[in-house]
Amino acid sequence: MVTASPPEPGTRKGVWEIPATAARRVRRSAASTPGRLFVIGVGLVVLSLLTGLVGAVALQQKQATIDNLIEHREPVAAASQQIYRSLSDADATAASAFLAGGNPPEELRERYELDIAQAGANLAKAAADVAGVPQAQEQVDQLSQQLPVYTGLVETARAFNRQGFPAGAAYLREASGLMRAKLLPAAQELYSIDFRRLAEEQAQARSFPWITTALVLALLAALVATQMYLVRRTNRLLNVGLLVASIAVLVGLIWGTVALLIESNSVADGQESGTQQVELAVEARIVALKMRANETLTLVARGDGGDYEKEWQALVPEMSGDGADNLLARARELAADDETREVLDRARANVADWVELHKQVRELDDGGSYEKAVELAMGDGDDGVAARFGELDGNLLAAINSGREQFVAETGAASKALTGLVPGAAVLALLAATGVTMGIRERLREYR
Amino acid sequence: MRVTRTRRAAMLLAVLMFAVTACAGAGRPVDLVTVNSVERPRPVGAEENPAPPSTSASKAPDCDAEASFRPPDPMPAPGQMPEGSTMKAIQDAGMLIAGVDQNTFLFGFRDPTTNALEGFDIDRVREIAKAIFNDPNKVQFKVVTSAGRVDALKNGDVHIVVRTFTATCQRWQEINFSAIYYMAGQRLLVDQASTVTTLDELGDQKVCAAKGSTSIKTIADYKSKPIPVQVDNWTDCLIMLQQGQVAAMSTDDTILAGMVAQDPNVKMVGERFTKEPYGIGIPKENEDMVRFVNGVLEQSVADGSWADSYDTWLGDTGGSRPAAPTPKYRK
Repeated sequence: MVTASPPEPGTRKGVWEIPATAARRVRRSAASTPGRLFVIGVGLVVLSLLTGLVGAVALQQKQATIDNLIEHREPVAAASQQIYRSLSDADATAASAFLAGGNPPEELRERYELDIAQAGANLAKAAADVAGVPQAQEQVDQLSQQLPVYTGLVETARAFNRQGFPAGAAYLREASGLMRAKLLPAAQELYSIDFRRLAEEQAQARSFPWITTALVLALLAALVATQMYLVRRTNRLLNVGLLVASIAVLVGLIWGTVALLIESNSVADGQESGTQQVELAVEARIVALKMRANETLTLVARGDGGDYEKEWQALVPEMSGDGADNLLARARELAADDETREVLDRARANVADWVELHKQVRELDDGGSYEKAVELAMGDGDDGVAARFGELDGNLLAAINSGREQFVAETGAASKALTGLVPGAAVLALLAATGVTMGIRERLREYR
Repeated sequence: MRVTRTRRAAMLLAVLMFAVTACAGAGRPVDLVTVNSVERPRPVGAEENPAPPSTSASKAPDCDAEASFRPPDPMPAPGQMPEGSTMKAIQDAGMLIAGVDQNTFLFGFRDPTTNALEGFDIDRVREIAKAIFNDPNKVQFKVVTSAGRVDALKNGDVHIVVRTFTATCQRWQEINFSAIYYMAGQRLLVDQASTVTTLDELGDQKVCAAKGSTSIKTIADYKSKPIPVQVDNWTDCLIMLQQGQVAAMSTDDTILAGMVAQDPNVKMVGERFTKEPYGIGIPKENEDMVRFVNGVLEQSVADGSWADSYDTWLGDTGGSRPAAPTPKYRK
């Protein structure tokens, strides 16, 4: 057992010298033409296989990124905007139920319960995704800790309301304050983090694989150079093996480039007419909900709600008018089809009606007709604010859904553009390696 | 010597091995998420140890805060206000605008079942509306917070403020008050289980009152140094007490009676330690309106509607009905 005995200086030296000896041997054999050919052949085979491997891995990753966009990233972003929507609607509904007086209508109660259930379900979905993103984790923690507190306060308010005590109103104010100070900001932050992550992954899916491309080009150049060298040395114009290898690499290059261009284009389309349009529609929906909550709370405050009204007025330019702030106009510009544009036009008409009705509500309330103002703002009549707001919310939801469909369609097309490219790249790399081996062996044989 | 060294070495080895195995232990469960404290929800606008308002620095000159202006004789008939008077302007406008509370049980509150504003203070407003229009419903109620009462009058947002409004010399400098229509006094509200009976026992503990009220000032200035917690509405104090966020609430016994009526688990303790004469706030420039309102108050005491109103709202709060305060006039 040589290894067990104390090492002799000689053996150790021998081990260290292996690479040097090998290099010396390669150098010596490369001095002769067949030796050089052998070295070139080995180099080309290694480069082909390496390029194939790197390319296949890179393409596989890209494919995974795109699939993740559709199956994971976008649904999570959609879920987190739904959290905001549900919470905000729950708050507005609780306030409406309070204004309705007496035992609030059954449908308001159902709507509130549905909102809370939806917020909880979507929160669970968003929570499953926050590992490794501490900022998002913070928002999810805040939401999951405070949501039960909120519902507890609302139920306490309900119990006192049923007994006819103003403590109910006080609990409701506390609940609404918690919602507006903690839950809604956390939900808004979570949803903007999720949309940011979506945009980042879309950029990643669009990015060009520079390393792979450089390797392919280097391989192609090496193949061409080898063939020119062979022509000079052997005076034979054609080497079938090397030609096949070059063609395989060229096909791979063209296929890959075209497929990636199509893919990146589709992802970009899905981002613009899909995600970005959705983001604007979501923002518009949030603004609409804020306006509705402010309108309701102004009436709940009964004369002491000047701040809510000011907030309402400050939000109006984001929903109507020709200003650059108009979210609906901006969403319309990005919309992919006429149907979505129509939906957004209807939403703009809803907002115009609402602004007009709101003016009437304020005039009635400020003029002392409080009950009529409440009736106009909260009543279930077809001409009331509640009906207009319901339509607006429905239209915005339709715009969001069509944008999401657009995203899935375009991103799905991007995924399809890459179909077969991963195994294709592997096969072409093997073909190139085989071609090189055959071509070089043919020439080597001539030296025997 | 050698034995000890060997033993020491062995011990060291054992300790090292133990340390290594302990560190490398792969079987430790992942730590659970631990939440050690939760921030409690608070009523909107609740503030602990607020900075005293700048106006409290300037001492108001001594005066008789309970003395108002003598009513006209005879009183104008309803619907026939004298030409050029404030009341005539209100009559022509068709609506008396009154600053009230919608959150203080028994005085000014919104009945959650009927959606209507009701209470002892609201009755006073309707009496005045009846005297002007011969219709108690020609009223536009505007809710004002305790802190917003003086400003609402100074800005002309409302014609009158009837909202458990204590007449003080400080406030007299900015607005006028009617004659006193109710005499309240500050007391203490604590949990049934509490043994506290006076503010003296509440040093360094949180005591709640409404922003801009005389009560919050009394608490902040009290010699035992309780920590004042101010909120926008009186009922916010009740829920803070229910949630265990304050040790006590302290304000006029009438307001506290409304809290006891909503929650049998709290009790009013101790003696009245301040005198809070309630007047109706009216803008400084409308002296004719003050006189007119004083006339209305005298009528309501005389015809028994003051007593009826008391019985309706405050009759169940214990004790027998006190006599209506005797009006005091300046000139």
